Amino acid sequence: MTMVVEAVNLKKVYMLGKVPVEALRGVNLKVEEGEFLSVLGPSGSGKSTLLNLIGALDKPTDGKVFVDGVDVSTLNENELASLRRKIGFVFQFFNLIPRFTALENVELPMAIAGVGKEERRKRAAELLETVGLADRMNHKPTELSGGEQQRVAIARALTNNPRFLLMDEPTGNIDSKNAYEIIQLVKRLNREKGVTIIMVTHDQRLASEANRTVHMLDGLIVKEAMNKA
Amino acid sequence: MKPNDIFAYAFSAIKLRKLRAGLTTLGVVIGIAAIVALLSITQGLQIAIASQLQKGFATDTLIVSAGGGLGGGADSGFSLLVNDTQTISQIENVTAALAIIQRIGYIKTANGTRRATILGVDFAAYKEIYSSTFIAEDGADIPSNPESNALVVGKRISDPWGNGTMFCRAGDTVEILWANTTARPLRNESYTGNVVAVLQEVGGFSVGGPSDNSIYIPISKAQGFFGTEKCEMIIVKLKSDDKATIESTAKTIRNLFGRQVTVTSSTAVLNIISSVFSTIELFLAGIAAISLLVAGIGIMNIMIVSLMERTREIGILKALGMKNHTVLLIFLTEAAIIGLMGALIGVGTGWALAELVVRIFSANGGGFGVRQSGQAALAGGIAITPVLTPTVLLGAIAFGLLVSVVFALYPAWRASRLKPVEALRYE
Repeated sequence: MTMVVEAVNLKKVYMLGKVPVEALRGVNLKVEEGEFLSVLGPSGSGKSTLLNLIGALDKPTDGKVFVDGVDVSTLNENELASLRRKIGFVFQFFNLIPRFTALENVELPMAIAGVGKEERRKRAAELLETVGLADRMNHKPTELSGGEQQRVAIARALTNNPRFLLMDEPTGNIDSKNAYEIIQLVKRLNREKGVTIIMVTHDQRLASEANRTVHMLDGLIVKEAMNKA
Repeated sequence: MKPNDIFAYAFSAIKLRKLRAGLTTLGVVIGIAAIVALLSITQGLQIAIASQLQKGFATDTLIVSAGGGLGGGADSGFSLLVNDTQTISQIENVTAALAIIQRIGYIKTANGTRRATILGVDFAAYKEIYSSTFIAEDGADIPSNPESNALVVGKRISDPWGNGTMFCRAGDTVEILWANTTARPLRNESYTGNVVAVLQEVGGFSVGGPSDNSIYIPISKAQGFFGTEKCEMIIVKLKSDDKATIESTAKTIRNLFGRQVTVTSSTAVLNIISSVFSTIELFLAGIAAISLLVAGIGIMNIMIVSLMERTREIGILKALGMKNHTVLLIFLTEAAIIGLMGALIGVGTGWALAELVVRIFSANGGGFGVRQSGQAALAGGIAITPVLTPTVLLGAIAFGLLVSVVFALYPAWRASRLKPVEALRYE
């Protein structure tokens, strides 16, 4: 199996005012292609920090992150931006652009990557269909429910055929019924389309939907377990 | 990201905050409008004055005056004499020379007394030199060998208010008064003259040539009446108005009088006027540019506010793989759109403003001596049409755009440098 993400002795220290805070204290993690991994831990355990480092949104204090075999710490700002195009982000608060319709939001990463108007419109429509929003394409985020917004965000994350999806509490802001549907969608994407997924959550039940779960506490991975299918 | 996508993105961000963008644009509009209005009025004024000068001041003439010339100067005791014209006529390239005796006096009719400039000239020579302006309004002939008490009056002497209420007409008998300040005790001189012709309207002002506010009497009469052989200036008509002729003749005349005289050519006066106007234009444009700088600070302010409001959005864009320079370009494009719209509207507004100002002033009777041609004549008025040259037009648009973009550089740079993690965490 190909390794998509590898973290080696990853450390991250934040300065909280003048007090250094060790968010990560030496994390080792490997994620293989096609995996559905959940990172479980209470708030403050360092799981979001880990996600930011894997997603090339932030740089580690020490240790290395390899995405697709490339050492992220060697990349400059432009190369980091290019790398992020191969990663699909899904955030807890959706992070859609409010003034754009669902379709335009899904088109955005392709526009950034320089894909032509027609091609990206076609692909955005297909992806919205995949996530079950074929009839809501021209609605703006404010006209969509939380669950629908998160589907738009997932469709957006999939546009550039990412190497993996990074999900940060994807159902944290959605009612339980919609949360269930979202997680079914994620599982389906993983199972049917072979999309690699790394999901961060503090929800035990949600984490157990993944194939594998790593438990984090105080900046370290303390436990790792395979889940029943 | 493709340029048209960058533009579309920037435009969508502006559209979201219409009122704010509108007010920011208004700042640019005011700055550009001020520049365009001031410059087009000034240039219109300059052209109007230059054309008036060319009309009232034949280009193939030189004006010889004692001492410092038109602007005056220290009195060296030297004076030009009426019969110096004989010497000057001998010079090569000179076809005629005419002495002018000039005094301020009064003209008295049954309708009252008015102050006027009285010029003693040789009617025949004056007619020849100013053949297009020393003409009677009704086409009547101005006698070449006038009676001693003959008078020719300017249009504003005959019809001072420009409304048909006549002060005097051709054929009237009037009294000419002059306070003789050289006599002791001071003495009021006077004689009775006949108005033989009223000049057609000259408009504006003139140097040496006929003007609407003057009274013309024969030179011999002036010599006797004012008791002088000295003259204020000598008008010299040349064979041609090319630069070489003007310069060489001017030099010859200066040398002839031992450099005690100033020789002025119409071309020189025009050059002085245009250089004065260039300075005025620069000054006015500078003032207007300050208002544009204020607009630029407005743009900077709005961009910084926008940057704060959109920090999270910038974080999203970066997470989706947008490069720093694209973020920079989006912000600069927003400023450029505002600047360009402001500049375009500003040029239109400025032009309309210039037209309006000119109209208001001409309707009010020429607050600064302006009137529309074809309207009722107003004392001392010249017609101004605002002039918008392509240089001013394009320059104003480019300047508006430049100021907008320059002031957006700092906010745009800050936006581009935002760290994605921090931007995404921003509430």
